[in-house]
Amino acid sequence: MKTGALILLVCLSLFPGGCATRDFAAEAEGAKTKVGIVFDIGGKDDRSFNAAANSGVLRAKKDLPIILRDVEPGDPTSIEPAVRAFAQYGYNLITGVGFAQGPILTEVAKDYPQLHFVLIDAVADSPNVASLLFKEHEGSFLVGMIAAYTSKTGVLGFVGGMDIPLIHKFQTGYEEGARYVNPNIRVLHNYVGITDAAWNNPGKGRELANAQYEQGADVIFQAAGNSGLGVFDAAEAYNKFAIGVDANQNWVKPGHILTSMLKRIDNAVYSIVKDEVEGKFKGGVHIYGLENDGISYAIDEYNKHLIPQDVIEKVEQAKKDIIAGKIKVTDAMAK
Amino acid sequence: MRNIFNYTLIASTIRLSTPLILAALGGLYSERAGVINIALEGMMLAGAFTAAVVTVFTHNPWIGLLSAVAAGLLVAALHAMATIKYRADQVVSGTAINILFLGVPALLSGALFESTGATPQLPRDQTLPDAPIFNPQTSPALASIFNQKPLVYLAFILVAMTVYVIYRTRFGLRLRAVGENPEAADTAGVGVNRMRYAGVLISGALAALGGAYLSIGQNSLFTRNMTAGRGFIALAALIFGKWHPVGAMLACLFFGLAEAVAIRMQGTVNIPNQFIQMIPYILTMVVLAGLIGRATPPKALGVAYAKE
Repeated sequence: MKTGALILLVCLSLFPGGCATRDFAAEAEGAKTKVGIVFDIGGKDDRSFNAAANSGVLRAKKDLPIILRDVEPGDPTSIEPAVRAFAQYGYNLITGVGFAQGPILTEVAKDYPQLHFVLIDAVADSPNVASLLFKEHEGSFLVGMIAAYTSKTGVLGFVGGMDIPLIHKFQTGYEEGARYVNPNIRVLHNYVGITDAAWNNPGKGRELANAQYEQGADVIFQAAGNSGLGVFDAAEAYNKFAIGVDANQNWVKPGHILTSMLKRIDNAVYSIVKDEVEGKFKGGVHIYGLENDGISYAIDEYNKHLIPQDVIEKVEQAKKDIIAGKIKVTDAMAK
Repeated sequence: MRNIFNYTLIASTIRLSTPLILAALGGLYSERAGVINIALEGMMLAGAFTAAVVTVFTHNPWIGLLSAVAAGLLVAALHAMATIKYRADQVVSGTAINILFLGVPALLSGALFESTGATPQLPRDQTLPDAPIFNPQTSPALASIFNQKPLVYLAFILVAMTVYVIYRTRFGLRLRAVGENPEAADTAGVGVNRMRYAGVLISGALAALGGAYLSIGQNSLFTRNMTAGRGFIALAALIFGKWHPVGAMLACLFFGLAEAVAIRMQGTVNIPNQFIQMIPYILTMVVLAGLIGRATPPKALGVAYAKE
């Protein structure tokens, strides 16, 4: 019996690896461009950051002659093996989703100079890596304005995922946007945690939002991955508003999601894949902001009755002013 | 200070403690019978996932809750078979279950919802309701503290019931006996392994309830690894509470309070967030090391029993 159990255990432990090996090696045929993507810890159905990246590559798969494979690492230590596996099998374009993959992609890209890499939310100093950066602070400024115009209590909330400079960028932009409308507004802010488990703890997200609503906040902007879905639950329970992030989340809890700060990772990833297929891949830093619609906010059938037309006009004016440089939004990461 | 210490703190403490209390009680039944249960985390995940999935399909959170219990029993049966029947190392079996339930939800939700771990979000009227005891309009403080999910009340009732069962019933006496001295219990005619099966199974059911509280009570969906270590904290609370139901409950309330205070300190007190988030754990170590004294586990904990 003991040997039987042992053999079973060995098989189980080999299963994911064995399975992956076969997958990576498969379909090595043809002139198709092979695209591999390694997601962040949140996983591709976080309805937010990773989901946006996923919809970009899926769209590319539909339109373009590519072979697409993805990996969702279960924990941070399995990111590097996944990236290296793609590289070993000669994937032409390897995408790393999330700042945490910065150092890993930098290393792997140097070992495979003939391959191309895409890094989202961080910069890798290697000519064969396209580093995609987004001006989240500008979009956060705009949704901060909408929040301030909507708030009746004069108190807003912000719930971030992991307490890191990237998320501070969302927070400061949001605060500045809110103060641009109402200099006396109070913005409460909380972070779910200080490790990457913070992206996957909706229970804590809910509890943080509860605390903010109880302190008088009536709009909460969340930038917290899966934990942010707990913020939406709280918004519904307290009959208040929340603001979505990265992908358009207005549909998740209709009527309670005021708007979503859009980070068009989907468009950015799509265009890089397209460039790769057409042989026009360019390494270096690519910046997406309001001016090229890389950053924006969502108005659709779920929320258009929540925001009056004159507010939208003011926000659109501010958007023009930011693009023109008349309004300066602090970039918390640049400090 | 009034921003931190007010009635919402009490409400928050209760909400945060509930899944811990349920899981810690679960751990108590198993460990009192002599089977280490570090699989609490995996059992919670199994319960949370099953509750969310079944509720998505049946639109009824109560059926979801019952299914979670069934799932907990199933996972516990796995742990019990491995450790009692086949006398596998209890820590290894528990670890295997924890790792297994990082993956199983991703696999199943892929088949069911084409997702990799998350379930669709449930509408609010399909999650467990709050008990409408006080009117939030006329008495907001009382409503905030007492209008909780039924599982919250169940958790505290179960603590009282466990005290009774463990210390006042024949079942409890036998359970403790097989955890302390299985040879003597066996000589006295107690079915050691049968008692241990019972302990581990109850453990799974309770831990799964704790998980279901997270997915269909506090929240409205399951996401990958959403327990975020609560099973391990429950286990720590059990040890902290010296394997006594009331002690474990107090320890869970203490963890809940520390976290609720940490939540309210963020942004109101000028201390770095990294430090604030350490407070619950630092307090635990201080209390464990200094105040609580020696915690003595059941004597036969971790030792499989083989009839000679």
